[in-house]
Amino acid sequence: MDRRRFFALSAFAVVGLTLAPALQPAFGATKLEEEVQKRLGVQLSQIKEVEDIKLTAPTIAESGANVPITVESTIPVDRVERLWIFVDKNPVPWIADVSFTPMNGQVFFSTRIKMGETSNVRAILKLKDGSYVMATREVKVTAGGCG
Amino acid sequence: MAVGTGILRVPREAKKGEVVRVQMVITHPMTPPRKDPQTGQEVPAYTLTKLELFFNDKPVSTVNMGAGVSANPFMAFTLRVEDSGVVKIVYEDNKGGKWERTAEIKVS
Repeated sequence: MDRRRFFALSAFAVVGLTLAPALQPAFGATKLEEEVQKRLGVQLSQIKEVEDIKLTAPTIAESGANVPITVESTIPVDRVERLWIFVDKNPVPWIADVSFTPMNGQVFFSTRIKMGETSNVRAILKLKDGSYVMATREVKVTAGGCG
Repeated sequence: MAVGTGILRVPREAKKGEVVRVQMVITHPMTPPRKDPQTGQEVPAYTLTKLELFFNDKPVSTVNMGAGVSANPFMAFTLRVEDSGVVKIVYEDNKGGKWERTAEIKVS
């Protein structure tokens, strides 16, 4: 290997090494995005936020161990297949998923969840036509509920 | 209360076609997997994994859940009732526990 090629190659290697970590975040998804991809099979960025899902949660939760949330929707229940609940910053963002049938009468689900820290709560609905819609709400947590 | 004890609450009477609220509370620790602070040993998760809601033995809703749901989970659904019948919930946890509870609704 002559000297000129050696310099060219090493310069290339240095550029490659410095760029690699900088590029990493673009490929590595956040935990929430990974979880959504794994469970729903679609990317979070492709899910549209809509007005007709009502996600009720306290603005400030005193204890993260017990945050009451309610998901209601005016979308007719026979058009809805499934509901997922996610908390963005939990160690495991997935909370629960619920299937609906026309016997439910309306889209309604209420439960209590754990939250590690202040974060967004998301309710994602899968409609029968295969599309996904979402509602997001921020809940401030003063004392975490994990561990 | 023992793990797995459940309370299922429905209105006693309803009108035909009415959408009623079905509520339940189940006694369960719902602990995530974690390290024991004293011994450093891994303690496996102990959570409910699945809950199914039936009306007259027809499946209505299914919930899959993990440790993200609070201890002693509370859940509420809606149900459209056309006939009198029995509301049943069947729930199981990741250690093989399986329980069910029933409640009756009289429809006029």
